[in-house]
Amino acid sequence: MPVSIPSVLTASGRLLPRDKRLRLGGAVSLMGHAAIFVALLVNLPARKVEDEKIPETAVEMIFDGRAKTTIKAPTPAPIPAPSKEIKPPAPPVTEAPKPEPIEAPPPPPPPPPPPEPPKISRPLPVPPSELPPPETSPREAPVVPPPPAPPAPPREAPPKLLAPPAPPPPDKPPPAQPSATAQPNPTRNMAPNSAAVEATLLRLRQQQRQTEPPRARPNPQAGGQPDSGGNPAANDTESLSASQRGVIGAHVRECWTKDSGARDLDKLSVVLNVGTDASGTVRVAAVAEEDRARLSDPVFQSFAERAVRAVRDVRCATLPLPTQMLGRNNNLTFRFRP
Amino acid sequence: MILLPSPVFRRRDAMLTALGSLVALAVPVPVLAQETGGGRSAAIDVSNARNAPIPIAIPDMGGGSLGASIAGIIANDLGRSGLFRPLERAAFIQGGPTDGGAPNFENWKPTGAQALVTGQVFDDGTQVRVEFRLWDVLPGTQIQGTAFTAPRANWRKVAHIAADAIYLRLLGEKGYFDTRIAYVSSQGPKERRIRRLAIMDQDSDNQRFLTDGAWLALTPRFSPVRDEIVYMSYANNQPRVYALNISTGAQSALGRFETMTFSPRYSPDGGTVAMAASNGGGSDIVLVSGGAARRITSSGAIDVSPCFSPDGKRIVFASDRGGDQQIYLMGADGSAPKRISFGSGRYGTPVWSPRGDLIAFTRYAGDTSNFAIGVMRPDGSGERILADGWLVEGPTFAPNGRVLMFWRETRGDARGIGFSARLYSIDVTGFNEQAVATPADATDPAWSPLGV
Repeated sequence: MPVSIPSVLTASGRLLPRDKRLRLGGAVSLMGHAAIFVALLVNLPARKVEDEKIPETAVEMIFDGRAKTTIKAPTPAPIPAPSKEIKPPAPPVTEAPKPEPIEAPPPPPPPPPPPEPPKISRPLPVPPSELPPPETSPREAPVVPPPPAPPAPPREAPPKLLAPPAPPPPDKPPPAQPSATAQPNPTRNMAPNSAAVEATLLRLRQQQRQTEPPRARPNPQAGGQPDSGGNPAANDTESLSASQRGVIGAHVRECWTKDSGARDLDKLSVVLNVGTDASGTVRVAAVAEEDRARLSDPVFQSFAERAVRAVRDVRCATLPLPTQMLGRNNNLTFRFRP
Repeated sequence: MILLPSPVFRRRDAMLTALGSLVALAVPVPVLAQETGGGRSAAIDVSNARNAPIPIAIPDMGGGSLGASIAGIIANDLGRSGLFRPLERAAFIQGGPTDGGAPNFENWKPTGAQALVTGQVFDDGTQVRVEFRLWDVLPGTQIQGTAFTAPRANWRKVAHIAADAIYLRLLGEKGYFDTRIAYVSSQGPKERRIRRLAIMDQDSDNQRFLTDGAWLALTPRFSPVRDEIVYMSYANNQPRVYALNISTGAQSALGRFETMTFSPRYSPDGGTVAMAASNGGGSDIVLVSGGAARRITSSGAIDVSPCFSPDGKRIVFASDRGGDQQIYLMGADGSAPKRISFGSGRYGTPVWSPRGDLIAFTRYAGDTSNFAIGVMRPDGSGERILADGWLVEGPTFAPNGRVLMFWRETRGDARGIGFSARLYSIDVTGFNEQAVATPADATDPAWSPLGV
């Protein structure tokens, strides 16, 4: 016959055996568990406080921030309030590797090596020897033609004119001794020969002059910015509205003059490529490729030169560009008509 | 069976098609013009240029007073043309380099100069050498460098040649400064005036007489190739056209005519002289070449003032064959005469521009008391009046066709008080009229070719 074990329902809702022995055992067990629980409760805070030691390392890290202005503000670090929930900040703090860069930067810059100027107070040997001309030019301070000439002063044959010499130095240097590289025989500027050489050089320069703009274009796919420059052939005129072009044209018109009696004036027109700097001031102006062949016509050449003078005139050279075109160089196309 | 559309339908269809075509053609044109702006889409258009002279700085050249004088002549030549504006020397921050060196452009830009002339003069007493450079101030480049050498007595001519070189480089056309003017100088009381041929540089310097005034002299004209003038003289009371060698003073009658000859003009090659020869009540145009004369008009009217076109293929002249005096064109052999002047009044003294683009004339409008100097195209169109006055007459072109010279008389009272006759020059655009200084009254100017 089966034995049924009576049980009672406790306040906590658990079933306790009615047997006394079992009840005692259960009570002891319950007490033991309670004691363990209390012990655990008492011990836990002590452990957490120990964990709080970690933030101290964070303080060290902030020291590394030599670049105080660059990264973290030091303020949060020194307040490691011992709150229990501070744990989360701990892991970021432990990105301890940061201190490593600290060690790298310190190397102080090496002392700048003092540039030792070659203390040659002797000026370039060119001008002095050329100075002699006491020809009394009534007004002008002595201006020295720079062509490299030997010390031999007296100019016998007036030089044939052609190539413009360089601007003269302001001061008279003392007469120089003949240098070690001086030629034994002074070079004479024979007028006909020098003219021929100069003319040849001029022709060569004309032939070798770059006649076409570079064809390189920015490649946006490779990271190049379409408006970052680098291609003088790029035409920024297209980014101007009709009214903006009108304003710029009206501005330049103030300096645009013509010779109204010129032959076939009404048939003339010229296209200029104009480069401006970041302030919108014209720095380069040249006849466009399409019109360059016509420069052999003296009338057209004169017309084109007037156009170039118009955009380079001090009164008109600073163009009223829209603000988005300022701060960078621009290439513009102008068409001048009488 | 084929159905043909009725005529009515076909007409309407054709009209609609034509209308559609017109619309299709008319609409896109303005759009296209707006987009392309005349062939190029993106360009800043600058037009309506001002008519303004080129500001130019011409400081003294090196070489002492001669350098200063030459610079002064160049400045005067360029300034009188009206196409340049020589800057006042007081505005110069510094003088030009007098030793052939490069100028400091930063000192010239503030003056407003767009061009700068510097140079130096070497004078050894017998020869003078002028070296000059022309600079474009804004880019700071030399655009011309030339040297001229000449006998010292010709130093003024060298200065004019230098001015012509500058004119050519900056304007693209030949200048006219190395030229002379022949004219008729008049002196004395109104009833007994002495008229003599005179000659001077275009800037009124180097004045001298070519005839002594014993006989009336009129209408001098320069040879294009020789140092020679043809003119009309009343020598021995026989009015004839004479050729006068300017250097030697030798002269001779052109052709053998029993009647009066007048209003001569050389052909462009200098080998022929066209002139008028009286013929009964009228006059004809004749060509004289190598002593032989050929009559190319015989209208019975008064044909006068022949002038060759620059290519020598045509002749413009004045004639009253249509009633009033008007301007006519014909071939150089007298063929196909054609009237080209149709304005009110009478036209005379036609002169063909050396550039070929214009014909200058004197017009007397019947409805006013004034004369006028004007120009028109060779086809008679585009007539413009450049100057007028109580009496203006006798236009003559500068060798580059840019400037006209004429004379203007002012009206005097019955005793001649207040009367004057002076030479004037004016640009063919109608601007820059300037008086040309002469020591006495002057009429009948003739402009020499360049460098002759």
